[in-house]
Amino acid sequence: MSAHGASADRLARFALSPARKRKDRLAQGLILAGTAIALVPLVLIIYYLLHKGLGAWSSSFFTTDPTGNTFFGGSSIGGIKSAILGTIEIVALASAISVPIGIGVAIWLVEYGRSSWFANTVRFFVDVLTGVPSIVFGLFVYIVLVVGTGSTYAGYKGSIALALLMLPVVIRSAEVILLLVPAALRESALALGAPRWRVIFNIVLPTALPGMVTGVLLAVARAAGETAPLLFTAAATLKTSFDLGGFMNSLPVQIYKDVTSPTTAVVNRAWGAALTLVVMILLLNLIARLIARRSRLA
Amino acid sequence: MLARSPLARLPDRALKYGLTALAALILALIVYFFIRLVGEARPAFAKEGVPGFVFGNDWNVGAEHFGALPLLVGTMITSALALLIGVPVAVAAAVYATELCPLRLRAPLTMLVELLAAVPSVVYGLWGIFFLAPKLQGAEQWLADRLSFIPFIGGGLVTIPNYFITGLILAIMILPIVSAISREVMATVPADHKEAALGLGATRWEMIRLAVLPYCRSGIVGGAMLGLGRAIGETIAVTILIGDSPTLSHHLFNQGYSLAAVIANEFGEAQGVHRSALFAAGLVLFVLTLLVNGVARLLVARAARGSSSGAPGAPGASDMTAVADTAAGT
Amino acid sequence: MIKNKMGALAGCAILAVGLAACGSSSSSSTPSSTTATTASSSGSATISGAGSTFAAPVYEQWGSSLSKTLTVNYQPVGSGAGITAIESKTVDFGASDPPLKPADEEAIAKNGSPAVQIPMFLGAITVSYNVPGLKTGLKLEGKTVANIFLGKIKTWNDPEIKALNPGVNLPSTAITVIHRSDSSGTTSGFTSFLSEVDPEWKSKVGEGKTVQWPTGTGEKGNAGVAGGVEQTTGAVGYVEQAYALTHNFTVASVKNKSGKFIEPSLASTSASGEGVTVPANLGIKVINSPAASAYPITSQTFVVVNKDLCKAGIPGGEAAAKGVVKFLEYGLGEGQAILAKADYAALPAAILAKSKEALAGLQCNGTAIG
Repeated sequence: MSAHGASADRLARFALSPARKRKDRLAQGLILAGTAIALVPLVLIIYYLLHKGLGAWSSSFFTTDPTGNTFFGGSSIGGIKSAILGTIEIVALASAISVPIGIGVAIWLVEYGRSSWFANTVRFFVDVLTGVPSIVFGLFVYIVLVVGTGSTYAGYKGSIALALLMLPVVIRSAEVILLLVPAALRESALALGAPRWRVIFNIVLPTALPGMVTGVLLAVARAAGETAPLLFTAAATLKTSFDLGGFMNSLPVQIYKDVTSPTTAVVNRAWGAALTLVVMILLLNLIARLIARRSRLA
Repeated sequence: MLARSPLARLPDRALKYGLTALAALILALIVYFFIRLVGEARPAFAKEGVPGFVFGNDWNVGAEHFGALPLLVGTMITSALALLIGVPVAVAAAVYATELCPLRLRAPLTMLVELLAAVPSVVYGLWGIFFLAPKLQGAEQWLADRLSFIPFIGGGLVTIPNYFITGLILAIMILPIVSAISREVMATVPADHKEAALGLGATRWEMIRLAVLPYCRSGIVGGAMLGLGRAIGETIAVTILIGDSPTLSHHLFNQGYSLAAVIANEFGEAQGVHRSALFAAGLVLFVLTLLVNGVARLLVARAARGSSSGAPGAPGASDMTAVADTAAGT
Repeated sequence: MIKNKMGALAGCAILAVGLAACGSSSSSSTPSSTTATTASSSGSATISGAGSTFAAPVYEQWGSSLSKTLTVNYQPVGSGAGITAIESKTVDFGASDPPLKPADEEAIAKNGSPAVQIPMFLGAITVSYNVPGLKTGLKLEGKTVANIFLGKIKTWNDPEIKALNPGVNLPSTAITVIHRSDSSGTTSGFTSFLSEVDPEWKSKVGEGKTVQWPTGTGEKGNAGVAGGVEQTTGAVGYVEQAYALTHNFTVASVKNKSGKFIEPSLASTSASGEGVTVPANLGIKVINSPAASAYPITSQTFVVVNKDLCKAGIPGGEAAAKGVVKFLEYGLGEGQAILAKADYAALPAAILAKSKEALAGLQCNGTAIG
């Protein structure tokens, strides 16, 4: 009747019922629980890695190559220098191949291909590629580039296998991110007369950069830890090498060889190497995010 | 006035044709990859016949008889488990990080979840088999005994390597990628969508359910597909955790085999028909991912048609009405 | 600003690729190039090999002992892949545990020179068990082992085991069989022993690098089986001697062909090389050796090369051919003495002599280099 009563009625309709409050609290609780569940394995694994791997760390661990000298006691087995450098070289080359190509294809899919049948075909096959096991990529490069050409193992062949592994992940994640750039941003730039390529490089890419960095980092992390593609392509050598055209050691292969060794000191080295790999990727993550953040504010 | 000279249009043209050529190249590469695989796999298919290979229930290297059904089933079970367990947890973590988490904790939390991606697969396998699997064996046995009336889950002996532990570890492995992509997508939900819901009186959870999740649906599915791809193709961890027994096990907590694992285990020593059978297994994986992706696309397309708005994944008018209705307590 | 940062990133990537490209030698894609893998500092040669995982620690150790003048790059990809590697000339030498099949010998000979397999050393496969209270040396017959792995014997106090071990207190613990899940020469050795001593095993399961195990859990690699045995009370598994020793396993004394129960040791393993027939192509099989003091479950391993390495066109060329010979010379000489340090067994004198003979026959383009 009175204005006061009418608005009170209307407000009462919007009041928070106890049922909704309960649902809200339950849902928030479940979400928190889910997040905690996601973190528990991480804590356990990191603890396990530290427990098994930290003991192997020492200054010589990082500065000496593995020696293969496993018969004469723990001190002469060497460290993992060649494996660390090898991983950096092989993964850097793999990224240099897959990241520009992957982002290029993603840009094409979003900006030019859109929903054409051709674009849909590309999208579909890229998706399918995500399910191929890493070992099959290694075997493919093995048949085509090693056995096929009758030439020997080489670091760059391992990089190619890894690039194949990374490509679908980079393309797909970049595409998801690029699709989220608001159409309005593009349209206003185009309306102001900017040419297409400028819109892409100056508006779309910088906006999408942090998200794409995430996708790229995940692909790099995966590639850095994969053994199978390298076993049949890059082949390991114990010595440090800067020649990607020849044999090259890498952390995952070194870990794989060492972890199955009968000598305890060598197994410990494997765990130390695994810990090193995780720390390296963590550092890469931090550095890349710092760069991405700075470029966003600039 | 805004017309540009043909010369000025050159970079645009170059970019367009360049990128199109690149996409075509990638497609050609994938097709070549497929063709090479088929070539290597042909002897095995010639011996067993395609349905014989895919649905044959006997992988016997000694007798040179290759039926991949136990492997296929193992791959499907473990990947399904990985999705069932991993995607909800990943999305929950993403929701927490973007909506509910205190601002200061956001970056560290994100970094922690993504740290899971840094762990090499061989470490997952070893941690699983030496640490987690023995610890869970008691609980798995208890579950199997209590639920013995449910086929497949209950009854039967619990072995340390089994489908369940494999699916569990795979779920952990796909967590970072599903979570990261979901998070990125959720972070781009326009603030006004969320504020509109809150302004209408929605609780936090209702706002998430009505304004955030529908907007992110196809992005989350994209992330889940990448996670599924990883689960289907994961080799070394599965090899260590699944027990590698080439028989179709009837229990969740028993050992089995997977397509990727058999390739890793046997390729080093395989020759002749055996080798080509392993390539055929890789091909089956290829086709499996193809089918799964096809089905997923259909589902997403159908869901998108269901919501009335035009923008990809954006909430439609019907969703907004839903918010108002809920807010009104109806 | 943004352009600068992205330009910097792009520049870094290009620089990395550029460095890599400059570093890699240009001849890496041409077959049988002599410069790709042999260029090394201080004039030392580089040789590459691939194959047996069993032999990997030994070849790496020998390589390390020779590292001042020779670099040995060895890939433990498995005996089968090793044979494929030497067939397709992707490595200078191959390594295999089982002797070459005729088809393999033919395929390798296609490269222009016949295949030569040289026995290098021996190893034992132990039957390791984890039963509290049971010490090392439980007496088992080949047939008994087969019955355990067939699943016919289910508990440790089974009458069959009791009969062989009077006076030993056997618990009623259930037996958990642990076997290999991956293809391996160790499985091949173990199953070929069981096939020889038990006709039922031979018909039901047979031998091979991968078999259909009637019972038990599969674990990956020797390390996996060792871990499985360690973790499970009542477990029994077959592991290479080196792993059994590292893990301090209790191992069974297995009855050999002469009827004696022998514990696996370096001496009994080397003894298994005595009394075996040595075929013309040196493709020996030391399993279930007739020698009196031999441990029956042993395995050999070979290095596989072409007789005329240079003619066959190995990737490392002439320098690598000489390097391979040096490597083999060391292995059959001083290398035999240090095997004991890692619990591998040296070849008995008769076979060692034959190996050295084969080594002496290696050539490079017609001239002897062995």
